[in-house]
Amino acid sequence: MDRRHFLKQSTLASSLFFVPSFVKAFENLSASSLGYKRLVVIQLSGGNDGLNTIIPFRNDDYYRYRPKIAISKPDIIKATDELGFHASLLPLKKLYDKGHVTIINNVGYPNPNRSHFRATDIWQTASDANQYLQTGWIGRYLDTYGNEPYNAIEIDDSLSLALKGETTNGIAAKNPQVLFKTSQDPYFKNVLKYYQDEHLSEHNLGYLYKTMIAAESSATYIFEKHKTATSKQTYPNNAFSNQLKTTAGLISSGIETKVFYSSLGGFDTHANQLNSQSRLLEIYAEGIDVFVEDLKQQGTFNDTLIVTFSEFGRRVKQNAANGTDHGAASNLFIIGNQLKTPGFYNDLASLSDLDDNGDLKYTIDFRSVYATVLDKWLAVEDQTILNSSFPKLKFL
Amino acid sequence: MKQRDIQHLYWRSGFGATPSQITVLSNKDRRQIVDALFLESAEPTILEVDTSEIDHFTGQLLLKNKSQRREFRVASTKKLKEFNALWVHRLMVSNETLREKMTLFWVNHFACRDNNIFHVQQFNNTIRAHALDNFGDFVKAISKEAAMLKYLNNKQNRKQRPNENFARELMELFTLGEGHYTENDIKESARAFTGYNHNFEGEFMLKMKEHDYEFKTFFGHTGRYDGDDIIDIILEEKQCARFICEKIYSYFVNEVVHQEHVEELTEVFYNDYDIASLMRHLFMSDWFYSESNIGSKIKSPIEFIVGINKTVPVTFKNDIDIIKIQKLLGQTLLNPPNVAGWKGGKNWIDSNTIMIRLKLPSVLLANARISVTEKGEFEDPYEKYYYKKKKNTFAKVRVDWKSFEQEFIYSTFDDIKSQLLIPNLSQGTKTYLETLSKSSKRDFCVQLMSLPEYQMC
Repeated sequence: MDRRHFLKQSTLASSLFFVPSFVKAFENLSASSLGYKRLVVIQLSGGNDGLNTIIPFRNDDYYRYRPKIAISKPDIIKATDELGFHASLLPLKKLYDKGHVTIINNVGYPNPNRSHFRATDIWQTASDANQYLQTGWIGRYLDTYGNEPYNAIEIDDSLSLALKGETTNGIAAKNPQVLFKTSQDPYFKNVLKYYQDEHLSEHNLGYLYKTMIAAESSATYIFEKHKTATSKQTYPNNAFSNQLKTTAGLISSGIETKVFYSSLGGFDTHANQLNSQSRLLEIYAEGIDVFVEDLKQQGTFNDTLIVTFSEFGRRVKQNAANGTDHGAASNLFIIGNQLKTPGFYNDLASLSDLDDNGDLKYTIDFRSVYATVLDKWLAVEDQTILNSSFPKLKFL
Repeated sequence: MKQRDIQHLYWRSGFGATPSQITVLSNKDRRQIVDALFLESAEPTILEVDTSEIDHFTGQLLLKNKSQRREFRVASTKKLKEFNALWVHRLMVSNETLREKMTLFWVNHFACRDNNIFHVQQFNNTIRAHALDNFGDFVKAISKEAAMLKYLNNKQNRKQRPNENFARELMELFTLGEGHYTENDIKESARAFTGYNHNFEGEFMLKMKEHDYEFKTFFGHTGRYDGDDIIDIILEEKQCARFICEKIYSYFVNEVVHQEHVEELTEVFYNDYDIASLMRHLFMSDWFYSESNIGSKIKSPIEFIVGINKTVPVTFKNDIDIIKIQKLLGQTLLNPPNVAGWKGGKNWIDSNTIMIRLKLPSVLLANARISVTEKGEFEDPYEKYYYKKKKNTFAKVRVDWKSFEQEFIYSTFDDIKSQLLIPNLSQGTKTYLETLSKSSKRDFCVQLMSLPEYQMC
């Protein structure tokens, strides 16, 4: 590891840690002026149909492949001469107009896998299609650059593989108060009162105690931080927006968390997809809209980058049930205030030159997106984390 | 045999020993006890759910009819959940503990996942049947299982267009380990597995038109090999025996591998690849019972759940609850993360799972509350996905405290402690235990189960 890099990371971390928590305004200021950059990763679980999300409304193939489920031209919010947003994404289109969104088309990887489980696994571990890793890319980031579980938080009740490292894991905190209460449970708390250092030296048992101590302090820390969060925004009342609200609250509290991970599920639209996808995209876009507004008001939008992906796109040709089957490459959204290439990063791949399954061919490897974010946003060595070198993109 | 040694043997070869078992066994010597373990597991007992309601589906029907396909998929998914719960139940009550424990080891070695209940069930029982038999026959059987043919794409492996996925994992994960073969070995062996396929019933079929009957050169041998020949050539490599023994050692003895002991096992295993002989040698070894091995392992979620149940029988009213607990603890049977399986050991433990583990005994046995919801599944439609997440009741269970009290009727509080906590206790933990109230054996049991030490076996 690069020592200088590491020092930079850890001094930055500790300087933030000692900011007195009651001086909230000051804390916010320090977080932003220090440029404490944070990454928010959102997975659209189930495989979002990218072609009906960002629509190639001038493409005859698109309409020919999807006689029943193509989005008709009047319903599309046109963005370029070729591509437009799904009507449910109006709030996202507005962010796009302000230069806050980069859309990367045809993101995927060689020999794409069409199983939800395996594809998610590949995206979360950043592996090749024929490689099986047991740690996640954010987990490996924590291994090298993290100190505490709360350095990466999943807004959920259990931890995904993405946040599991070799030696360090993130923490799942859907509701900081519930997490805190659990950590203060007598069964949990009382044992720790009696722990002794000799425990810590023992191989596996020591690890259990260490994890308990870290869990307790992380839960307490997250709870204390979260208490100070204020927001003037009203979020829509749904699970996804609640995740974003918790995330925004934690970010504005000046918490020492580099990565937040959350998900919106239900995108597996094999049948009658028009209505269900439309509602899901609406939930996504409305949530993001308030989230960004919240971050802006708290002065943290500048230092927050939001990446939205799905484990795969869907088949170009619709199926008989007015839905779509599992596909391959798809689009990915980057949202932030420091984008070098707002708008569309690249053209949509050809709909007349599909792979053997009738899916879009990828032109950008998802690990290039990770590498770019790691290198240019989190300022760490991407190769150490991804175990390999991927060409960087220019969106940051 | 000493109580502590019996407990160790029973934890590693199964899910712990009850006080009455220990009483009976303590008069016997090591050989007698180990012999009995093998005797109890001599014959596999097939594990099956009632599939009568979906037996009418045929391959022909599904091929032609899309709505029937969907219907089958939904029914199959439901049956898989039943199968999962039935399996956990089997682990809790079966006397064939060694075979079941070996089955758990092998399903994580030949990690596989499928959504056809018939194929999953067949795969699972193939593993159970071979779990203590000849390793070579075992690998050959696995290479012909419908679930595996699908999972590692060997079904798509054709003479005209070879798919190397299975051949690669066969060597990397199933037999030799990384670095003990070349890319060319993968290419050549993949050709030998071309044309492997199965029918709807899950029976193996060789599609002759897709099989490559030409010469292959593999590990210095040349011939018109098929998959079985390739497996035989792999078995000639001592590294294969070593690779398996290392994995066996770290699963059954200690994650910190003792190289000399592994070499000793390798010599035994390489002899005839008989799994039962290997395991017998291991359980008979003095070093297996050395202090550094006892209580050194972190229980897997399944060992943890089944272990609680062996002490205090718990019946789950709904299958879905036992699956939910597996998910929260990070090990859902039939659903390994990928073909590399669960990493195990420390990897079971993160901030969230440790909190759930320490809380679970009081939740299950003492009606404490837990507020967590499981992750939704990809296939869930939107409403269900969120309905699930909103649901906040935990598990509905019936706790059989009577059995516990009968088992522990002659046990002192100190006995209960040494019964439930395997590792040596530090002074701090001992002091903590002093603070616990000793008015009720039940409460004391729950308190012991809520300790980090209870996570070890």
